[in-house]
Amino acid sequence: MDTSWYVVLSAFIFCIGAAGVMTRRSPLVVLLCLELMLNAGNLALIAFSRMLGNGEGQIFALIVVVVAACEVVIGLGIIVGMFRRRLPIDVDQMNELRG
Amino acid sequence: MIELAQVVQAPKIDYQGLAPLFSTIGGSLAVLMIGLFRGRFVQRTLVPAVAALALLVAMGMTIANWEAGDSRPIIEGALAIDTLALFMSMLFYVTGLATVALSLRSDVQREVGAGEYMALLLGAISGMVVLAGAENMVTLFVGFELLSIPLYVLSAGYVRRAHSLEAGLKYLVVGSVGSATLLYGLALLYGATGSTDFRAMAIAIGDTVAVTDPLLLTGVALAATGLAFKASVAPFHQWTPDVYEGAPTPITSFMAVATKVAAFAVTLRLFDYALSDAQVQWGPALAALATVTIVIGNAGAIAQSSLKRMLAWSGVAQAGYLLAGVVVGTQLGLQATAFYLAAYLFMNVAAFAVVIACERVSEHGDGIESLRDLGRASPLLAWPMTIAMLALAGFPATAGFIGKFYLIEAVVAGDYAWLGIVIVVGSMISLVYYLRVIAVMWMGRFEVELPSFPPRRVKAVAGRSPEADARAQPEVASVAILAAAATIFFGIVPSPLFDLVSDVGTSFGGLV
Amino acid sequence: MSATAYGWVVLAAPLVGMLIIALGWRVLPGRSAGWLGSAAIGVSFLASVGMLIRLLDSPEESRALVSSAYNYVETAGFRADLSILVDPLSVFMCLVVSGVSFLIHLYSISYMTSDQGFARFFAYLNFFVFSMLLLILAANFVLLLVGWAFVGAASYLLISFWYRRGTATAAGIKAFVINVIGDVGLVIGAFLLFDATGALDYAGIFAAAPEVFAENDGKLVAACLMILVGAFAKSAQLPLHTWLPDAMEGPTPVSALIHAATMVTAGVYLIARCHPLFELAPTAADVGAILGTATLIFAASVALAATDLKRVIAYSTMSQIGYMVLGVSIGAYGAGLFHLMTHAFFKALLFMGAGSVIGAMSGIQSLDRMGGFRKAMPFTFVTFTIGALALASFPLFSGFFSKDEILAYALERGGLYAILGVVGYIAALLTAFYAGRMVFRVFFGASVPEAQELERGQLAHGTHANPATGEEEDTDVGFPGAEHHIAEREWPMKAAMAPLALLAVVAGVLGIPGVTDTLEHFLEPTFEGSRFAEVHPSTSAELIGLAVGGVVAIIALAAAYRYFTGDPQARVATRERFAGVHRVLINKWYFDEIFDRAIVRPVAAFGRFGRTVVESAIVQGVLVGGTVGIVRAGTSLARSIQTGELRFYAALLLMGVSGLILYFLLVSS
Repeated sequence: MDTSWYVVLSAFIFCIGAAGVMTRRSPLVVLLCLELMLNAGNLALIAFSRMLGNGEGQIFALIVVVVAACEVVIGLGIIVGMFRRRLPIDVDQMNELRG
Repeated sequence: MIELAQVVQAPKIDYQGLAPLFSTIGGSLAVLMIGLFRGRFVQRTLVPAVAALALLVAMGMTIANWEAGDSRPIIEGALAIDTLALFMSMLFYVTGLATVALSLRSDVQREVGAGEYMALLLGAISGMVVLAGAENMVTLFVGFELLSIPLYVLSAGYVRRAHSLEAGLKYLVVGSVGSATLLYGLALLYGATGSTDFRAMAIAIGDTVAVTDPLLLTGVALAATGLAFKASVAPFHQWTPDVYEGAPTPITSFMAVATKVAAFAVTLRLFDYALSDAQVQWGPALAALATVTIVIGNAGAIAQSSLKRMLAWSGVAQAGYLLAGVVVGTQLGLQATAFYLAAYLFMNVAAFAVVIACERVSEHGDGIESLRDLGRASPLLAWPMTIAMLALAGFPATAGFIGKFYLIEAVVAGDYAWLGIVIVVGSMISLVYYLRVIAVMWMGRFEVELPSFPPRRVKAVAGRSPEADARAQPEVASVAILAAAATIFFGIVPSPLFDLVSDVGTSFGGLV
Repeated sequence: MSATAYGWVVLAAPLVGMLIIALGWRVLPGRSAGWLGSAAIGVSFLASVGMLIRLLDSPEESRALVSSAYNYVETAGFRADLSILVDPLSVFMCLVVSGVSFLIHLYSISYMTSDQGFARFFAYLNFFVFSMLLLILAANFVLLLVGWAFVGAASYLLISFWYRRGTATAAGIKAFVINVIGDVGLVIGAFLLFDATGALDYAGIFAAAPEVFAENDGKLVAACLMILVGAFAKSAQLPLHTWLPDAMEGPTPVSALIHAATMVTAGVYLIARCHPLFELAPTAADVGAILGTATLIFAASVALAATDLKRVIAYSTMSQIGYMVLGVSIGAYGAGLFHLMTHAFFKALLFMGAGSVIGAMSGIQSLDRMGGFRKAMPFTFVTFTIGALALASFPLFSGFFSKDEILAYALERGGLYAILGVVGYIAALLTAFYAGRMVFRVFFGASVPEAQELERGQLAHGTHANPATGEEEDTDVGFPGAEHHIAEREWPMKAAMAPLALLAVVAGVLGIPGVTDTLEHFLEPTFEGSRFAEVHPSTSAELIGLAVGGVVAIIALAAAYRYFTGDPQARVATRERFAGVHRVLINKWYFDEIFDRAIVRPVAAFGRFGRTVVESAIVQGVLVGGTVGIVRAGTSLARSIQTGELRFYAALLLMGVSGLILYFLLVSS
């Protein structure tokens, strides 16, 4: 199969993730959507790696997986902090800081 | 086994070049461990001292590594040092030291735990150093995240305050969108050029890949966005004021300075080195971004009642000036950007130090009201703030003036004369909000109109009176004074800094 | 000591004075800050004299000396040294500026005695003089710009010296904003020049200009026009003049210093300094000449109707600077600078006299309230009258020779310039008339109560109030001091006014047609390359011009005497007959209103707009505003882009990405 299909698929996933970030109000789902965006990048990296026949992209993808895990951990930590402060778990209600 | 050993070859590592990084990472781990002891001496004195020591050692080793000219690899294919990386690393360490001093009496340190706080700070600095020395997209991304993730945590440092949590989550989400965009852009660049290595990319572009290749250009656009986000370039700047306001102020000052330096270090490397052959393509787009940034930043800063927000918006405008130096893609532009980054560091550290000092004792928090009549109450804080404001506005005889002059010269020489005019007009507009701060400090006893701000209760630092509190923060005052002195010094005797940045200019061999 | 060493002393003295006063104001006892400041300027003046002597000693061809302290900025492209240029032009300007400034400092010691901000005032004054001298002595555009910006900042500080007066701070801000417009113009002009010639120092630019630019080269004209913007903003010429009358909110010595003798002449100096460029770009020079002439007639007409004594003098300043701009724009450099000097003397004198009168009126500045001070204040009367006669170019007074030299030169150039010259004569008529008006209304006629009280030996003390709005004030720092001071009783004030009065009478001897041309001869080395060096009105033509000017002045003064000391009823009748004209004049030709509508409001609107563009324009403006009308959209504009909404931020970020990608894809195809 042609590599371009994988790239198109990854672009789709990226857009789905982006749409999710823009539309979902729960921070948990937003974090999931961020995962989607990062993994879209991974898919593209691996596809290109196959196409080019060198391993650089795959190594890159492995590292991204680690990084993505770190980000989610921090995100969850903050959400737990908010939960313990009994703050609403809703990104639309986080608009104290503005102007 | 023998065959395998031949296939898998460990990269060459230059341990001397890597030493500063070991120092910061090692320092980070050390303070984390030391911070486990709960004694007051450990928490209040030992941990910051070790962190400062790690930074000083890193600085010393960076100076020992100093050598003008092209890059030499320290981890083959991943990290390299050249004068740009060394110069930027020095800026990170200086900012780091200032932040350690500014955090000494901050309650965020108690809330997070001194060990964790310093460990995260040193971690972020390590990420910046990696980012500045990256010669590979993988290293770039690792450095990028290594700098971002500790800052997400630190922004949410006041875990019991809604504002701080909000700032942290906002920064995390918007920041991750930025990272994901950058990652996707890097993936496309990899696909287009066939390599993750900057040098190989630079060779491939214009050679095997046409500069108008759509895949390449889409990658450039996405990568530019990711970096512009970190540098708070409009229209990717919106997190800046909110996060700056919500984050603990020492962290804000660190983010305002070090993150921006790091973002521009890597922007310079990616655009003026790896992608420099496609300058015709991305130059106008970045120039447009710079213009928008200057306009929006300056417009937003007017009429802010919070000093942190005002400085955030002003930081956005400053990012626009800096981006102008990247746009031209010349050696002169590189030098001017490096110079302005150094000037920017001193001006902002001075300003934030004063904000921190006043915020701790004023019932108005970081509102501009807290500076009212500072000139009389505490001239040692008012003067640095005055100098910082004048320098940010580009007043003559300050480093800010020379930096701007240098930038304008670079853009004019690079055939973007109109961008120079935008910079001049932008700085003129910026006088409105910078001078207001000065007016409040020196004439504030009388009727300077200020937006109202709800007062709050403060726990006094020294416990007696605001004046005593102001005197009781010698480390904050001395950071402010030193940074302001440097601003003036490099404004009057810029030649030492010029010599440094002209070394930096030689970093990228191919640049004209 | 060499001439340049003296030059550095000229600069260093006020800087040191400022630093000592600024740092030591808490410990300096009594009036010592004032004496210290005056001494600093005195040293500057003596050093200027030293420069003059050294320069006169050296042969004419080596009278332009450059001295560099160190190289301030050197990058791949350009050099900008911290260097000063000592040549006849800069020496002449230094002498005028430091000399007059010294007298004004002396005057201020008495005038400001009771003010709570006494030391601060002198720190500002010294800073101002330092900046002005820096501007004059700069040998390149970078240093010029530094001085230029410092002068603007210092004038802001001085105009809003009484910073608790709302009107004063507003005036200061106005002056600053217009000065910043000028700064931008000058920066752009300097860049255009640098771009073309690759140099920033005067010598380099002037040497390269004839090779790089053709005559009336578009780029050069643009650069010169930008320089004119800078010059006009500083010199309060049309259309950037509106700050000057408002700047009268500052203390009177400030008006004398900044708005008569020094800062406002910076523009004239700049045009004279850049004369090789303007000669290469005659179009720009013509623009300067025409606008200068427009200013001189406009301001003279407004001065006829203004009722605030200081504002009358302020408009008169604008008008006189118009003459100077006309002079240096048409190549009459010697004449223009000659007038600059005599004007510095008599205008500073007039302001000092006005300060004395205002002191006697306990702060009131309206001409309508004044009258009959002749006997009460004989010293002020004599000196003020001398100043007014010089202003009116009454025969044999200094202004008589200098003004008419400019006009004679304009007539000699012929064509368009002759028309400008004729306009200048008409304005001279108006000038003499309003000069007479000031004297006759203040010193003649029935004595007002304040004058009567003064005749009895007492000084009137009114309530402390803002003369512009009538708001009550206290006498703490930020407002004028408790006591008012008048020249009659304070020797430093007299000591400052007497030499100026003497100079206002005799300074004309430096350039009597056919007899002396000392000044012109001295300035010759600076202007020797000028293409107008050979243009010179014949002595007989100049004498005829002088005769015409003298007759005009005498007629106008006589008319003013008849009109203002005669029947008050007739005056009212006349004013009513010309009510329309009077209204236009009293409203300053509606310039402020036009300026407000055309520039200030759009800029303010833009500022509001900037914060609001995206969110309100797109979300509220289009969706909501479209349905409920424009009013709603206007209010929603005030909402901010910074909604605090996370999802909106993400959306904007992704919109930005899409925009960038779209751009790049368009480029790629």
